[in-house]
Amino acid sequence: MYRNRSSILARIGLLATVIAGTMAAGCGVRFDMQDQPRYKAYKQNEFFADKLSTRAYPEGTVARGRLNDNKAFYTGKIDNPNPNAVAQTTTDAAGNTVVTSFPDAIDEFPLPVTKELVERGRERYNIYCGVCHGPGGNGDGMIVRRGFPRPPTYHEDRLRKAPVGHFFDVITNGWGRMSSYAYQVQPADRWAIVAYIRALQATQDPDAILNSTAKADQSGTAKTPAAAATTHGGGK
Amino acid sequence: MAQIFNKSANNIAKISMVAVAVLAGTAFYAYTQIARSSYLTGRYMERQQPVQFSHKHHVGDDGIDCRYCHQTVETTASAGMPSTQTCMNCHSQLWADSPYLEPVRASFRDNKPIEWRRVHDLPEYTYFNHSIHVAKGVGCSTCHGQIDNMPSVYQENTLQMEWCLECHRAPEKFIRPKSEVYNMQWEPGSIDDTKRRSLKDDYKIRSKEMMTSCSTCHR
Repeated sequence: MYRNRSSILARIGLLATVIAGTMAAGCGVRFDMQDQPRYKAYKQNEFFADKLSTRAYPEGTVARGRLNDNKAFYTGKIDNPNPNAVAQTTTDAAGNTVVTSFPDAIDEFPLPVTKELVERGRERYNIYCGVCHGPGGNGDGMIVRRGFPRPPTYHEDRLRKAPVGHFFDVITNGWGRMSSYAYQVQPADRWAIVAYIRALQATQDPDAILNSTAKADQSGTAKTPAAAATTHGGGK
Repeated sequence: MAQIFNKSANNIAKISMVAVAVLAGTAFYAYTQIARSSYLTGRYMERQQPVQFSHKHHVGDDGIDCRYCHQTVETTASAGMPSTQTCMNCHSQLWADSPYLEPVRASFRDNKPIEWRRVHDLPEYTYFNHSIHVAKGVGCSTCHGQIDNMPSVYQENTLQMEWCLECHRAPEKFIRPKSEVYNMQWEPGSIDDTKRRSLKDDYKIRSKEMMTSCSTCHR
């Protein structure tokens, strides 16, 4: 009886020691669970020559719902541009040649301009554009104060008259020293930013505000970003 | 027959019983502290990066929004590391000749990504998604600390499960208005408890049971 009991105790003790020893040895050195043989974003990948786990689409791939066949919405350009149209240029005060006409660009927003769109545009503008163009669109952002060549102000006649498609095209493809922001700003947000630029322009162009408010009063709905901002602005 | 142990051995036996308990307790306490130490969690440890990039300069001094570079933080699990193109948006003109930026220019020239060293490395059995956190009012600085004061970024928190659960059990103690999520200067004391609880309702943050369910983070 006694002998039996002690041998059972001894076996339990031995088993416990073995389990505890295995656990102690196991938890200190193994990271199989922490580092699993799968790839997550930005993890280095030895399989591909460029070591990227995140693969780019093969050229010519169109994801479902990304055909982007609405030319006006995705490029800001008109459908049948005149191939012989020549953009007019002028020389500005600093002696640079600047473009003053944009024959290929669409002149109307390809989506409804709402208060929400302008608000979204303000948020996106302050993230991606304001760093150089300044919070008010005068071209005096922090990066410009650090030495980046100064972009033109939005509050000049040339850009007040520029069609909305031109602004969209500049965000998409860049202009002068400005890089393309297509990667950072998606098409719908680009239109939101354009709407906000129009609203910014209206703040320093009293005639535009008066005209657009009058238009909104007549029709009951906003036709321009300035009107969207002014007619809905006092609502809440 | 003489006794093998003299009488003082009784004291040794008693003391050793206490000592075993004390030692076991100390060892357990030491284990819990070592497991939480920055040696094992990587907390506060700066990494040598291929470029001497300073968040203090870009965020703190220049006021660039987090999303200018980490532009997928609102839409995907990963906050997104900027492509070299994003660096070159400004550095094609600014500090364009600086030797410090040669790795950036080399990356741009050769079309090879800059190999940053990961600072925040969650174990791969945890599911984490940035977009849901910023959409529910968890600010960047709540988890990442004062990035605008970090010349070299380090991990501000342990990233251990007990730390995650601290907020998942009582999110109303940590959330802020969505408009302040990217504001590095936001003070947690600037809204009161009533406001915090109403934010939790407004943002439809789920119950404590759902938030602390195993499969919420281990899926």
